[in-house]
Amino acid sequence: MRARAALLVFGLLAALTGNARAAVFYPTNFTLANGLEVVVVPNHLAPVVSQMVWYKVGAADEVPGKNGLAHYLEHLMFRGTANIPPDEFSRLIAAQGGQDNAFTSYDYTAFFEEVAADRLPMIMQMEADRMHNLRITPETAGPELRVVLDERQQRTDNDPEGRFIEKLDHAFMPHYPYGRPVIGWKREIEGLSAADAQKFYQSHYAPNNAVVVISGDVTAEEVMRLAAATYGRVPQGKVAPRRVFGPAPQPRARELTQIDAGVEQPEIVWRFAAPSYATQKDGEAYAYEVLAEALDGGEVGLLYRKLVSESGAASSVETSYDPDARGQTSFTIAASPRPGVDYRKLEKEMRALLRDSADQGLDAAAIADAKKRLQRSAIFARDGLMMPGYAFGMALTTGHTVADVEAWPDRINAVTADQVNAALRDLASTPREIMGALLPDPHASAAAREAAQPILGHGVGIR
Amino acid sequence: MKKLFLLTCAIGLLLAAPARAVDIQEVTGSKSGVKAWLVEDHKLPVVAMHFAFQGGSEQDPADKQGLAALTMDALTEGAGSYTAQDFQKELADRSITLGFGAERDELDGSLKCLSEDKQQAFDLLHLALTKPRFDARDIERLRARQLAAVRQQFADPNWQARYALLSHIFAGHPYGQRHLGTMRTLKAISRDDIAAFAAHHLARGTVTVAVAGDMTAAELSAALDKIFADLPRRAQLAPIADAPETADAPTILVRREGTQTDLLFALPGPKRDDPDWYAADIANYILGGGGFSSRLMQDVRDKKGLTYGVGTDLSPSQHAGLIFGQAAVDNPKVAEALETMRDTMRRFHDDGPAAREIAAAKDYLTGSQPLALTSTDKIAGVLVAMQRDKLGRDYLDRYGDIIRGVSSDDIDRAVERWFDPDKMTLVMVGKPEGVAATQTRDAVKQ
Repeated sequence: MRARAALLVFGLLAALTGNARAAVFYPTNFTLANGLEVVVVPNHLAPVVSQMVWYKVGAADEVPGKNGLAHYLEHLMFRGTANIPPDEFSRLIAAQGGQDNAFTSYDYTAFFEEVAADRLPMIMQMEADRMHNLRITPETAGPELRVVLDERQQRTDNDPEGRFIEKLDHAFMPHYPYGRPVIGWKREIEGLSAADAQKFYQSHYAPNNAVVVISGDVTAEEVMRLAAATYGRVPQGKVAPRRVFGPAPQPRARELTQIDAGVEQPEIVWRFAAPSYATQKDGEAYAYEVLAEALDGGEVGLLYRKLVSESGAASSVETSYDPDARGQTSFTIAASPRPGVDYRKLEKEMRALLRDSADQGLDAAAIADAKKRLQRSAIFARDGLMMPGYAFGMALTTGHTVADVEAWPDRINAVTADQVNAALRDLASTPREIMGALLPDPHASAAAREAAQPILGHGVGIR
Repeated sequence: MKKLFLLTCAIGLLLAAPARAVDIQEVTGSKSGVKAWLVEDHKLPVVAMHFAFQGGSEQDPADKQGLAALTMDALTEGAGSYTAQDFQKELADRSITLGFGAERDELDGSLKCLSEDKQQAFDLLHLALTKPRFDARDIERLRARQLAAVRQQFADPNWQARYALLSHIFAGHPYGQRHLGTMRTLKAISRDDIAAFAAHHLARGTVTVAVAGDMTAAELSAALDKIFADLPRRAQLAPIADAPETADAPTILVRREGTQTDLLFALPGPKRDDPDWYAADIANYILGGGGFSSRLMQDVRDKKGLTYGVGTDLSPSQHAGLIFGQAAVDNPKVAEALETMRDTMRRFHDDGPAAREIAAAKDYLTGSQPLALTSTDKIAGVLVAMQRDKLGRDYLDRYGDIIRGVSSDDIDRAVERWFDPDKMTLVMVGKPEGVAATQTRDAVKQ
């Protein structure tokens, strides 16, 4: 649905970002006179084209007290322009057999469409239109604010895990833009007005603050011609400067526990402060990407082998790391304790494993395997239309270049075992770390009562 | 500011040419007799294979619910001389994605790899299907993972709603069972059960296969024999009866603490082979399947802001057809949202769709067809579904004419038959205000 917040995007992208073994995407890129950056990736697998329009603004760029404004405006972008009546935007695209949607994150806001290739002129015109002709009226702004509040209820307030992650991030990065929810605190959403949205639109939505990525059954020449005829007619805007990130935040606590009567299966999440592409020195972020793959990597990663296959303290474990951030980012390990195992035991084993691995260093072969898997993933990134849009969009809105994306496999290849082990030592020793535990209410939980007895028969004990 | 010539252009495009057809070859393994459909495309060095065996979770005995899902999970956890770790490492080192899953009526699998690794990938798939180890220790690890997944379901209001709905509509039928099992049934499954389930259901006579990507027909023919020839010809499938339509239309409340209520309803719907399937598909698009363009979305979300999302879907299975509808609504607004939904559905049922709505739905359904074919995975998935549903290799070419040939009488008939809001079985999970339920129960926690 419209407006997926940070989590989903990060999950999808952790593996995809910048996946481009030298010249894998073979993009053509150019900049129009009004400052709009355009990237074209021809792909002739099907007679279809996808367009993504990225704006260099997100929830991190909101002013205090207006949390949720970037996302609210994203919704309003579908509610009519000087040329398109309210509610017609998606309907016009659907009438052509196309699909469209959008999402907001901390550092960018993106809109996308997928249509039969011969409909490309139409969707380029429609995006160019709402880049400068948006109409925000009380008739649409009011109901849309209620929709946003409904969305917040559905994603966060009515979902134990949604509430948990929101609290965890707020405790992990207090007074930092990434510690606030992309969708906004309820009270601040309620205070947003049509005028706020209008002002935000005027100060951030302009060709000189946007990136368009077109991927599919097209040629670069065709897109150049169409871009000049559509986006080329949009006047340059006066763009407000982006947020300057302050010093990295200190977590409010080392541990956060949420006991929830609706929950039966405990979940443990560790967040560690980590450098992003924007804040790294000497290619650290690439080393963290290799580390994430070596630790996770499905069932062959170190965490799964030790904590799930060997000790059995966890029933699942995974890592994620998002390097596409303008400020400090985080490295995450999430695990479910095996039914019948106390989460404190899992915590103890996880910490011991990180400490021991950091002391001894990861096996050189495991690091080499992880690098190989990442590099090969770049080839699969061309199978489908949306990946170039994500890779170039995220890079170009967070201060990086087309060349950075294309060089990604080489940079992964250049990561040394020493760098990966240095990243692991940082992770194991950083004081900027938090552990969150989402736990069943022992009084309400059937499973917790049952956990008193071992529930795994068939001859396997619980260690 | 110059205005763009947008609307004129949009209208002009309505007449644009239809999409190019996809060339589907039928390939047979001479030894195994297994047939597959192939879309050859050598632009990328990638191969995607999808396949489906008849008989899914519906085959689970009532006291061993979750068996099909657990068995499918265990196929990639060690086979032949490879332990689970070795098997997973072989896959990872070559970037081969191989996975199995249990759907309601079928057991699915998919394989994706670089074309240079396809022979090794097919060897591993062959081993997984014919010589899975099911080592006791690995079974316990997978059982624990599935138990944790079952417990996670309990916190999910969508799952609670779905279970309450299906267990009512399909009471006494396998479709009313729990796909991942219960805490109790999962513990009752033995290694022998798993081995027997695999032996009885993985058969070359009941498998449907499709491949897309960097592979020739000759290569595929040899691969079909290599992968499937050692499987038994016949599956041993438990017979499943067609599920009867429910006679009542209750409103079931599942008590759950929270700020919102999840609404899920079902109506009797068409099966995939119903002659009025396409008419129902068009009708559903107009009422609730068409995303932001649907009547329900316009009325409940855009005009009143009562929900973030509302929609309906056709849900055909082999032994029953349903139409699902869902929305999540703040507790105090549930009565108003339900009234709005029922009113929208009542008008739709009584008056039928307008001609311009039918035209828009047909434009979407025909125009969006190529969007389902934008990666090798998607193509292979579509090809398996086409074979399962016996649509013919020329279906993609015929599809536009089929949709355009549906008359407004056909659609009126489908609306009359399947879109009557009085036949709605409704589940509410939460603390709805101002709505009376005919049954009340607690959320499932076992």
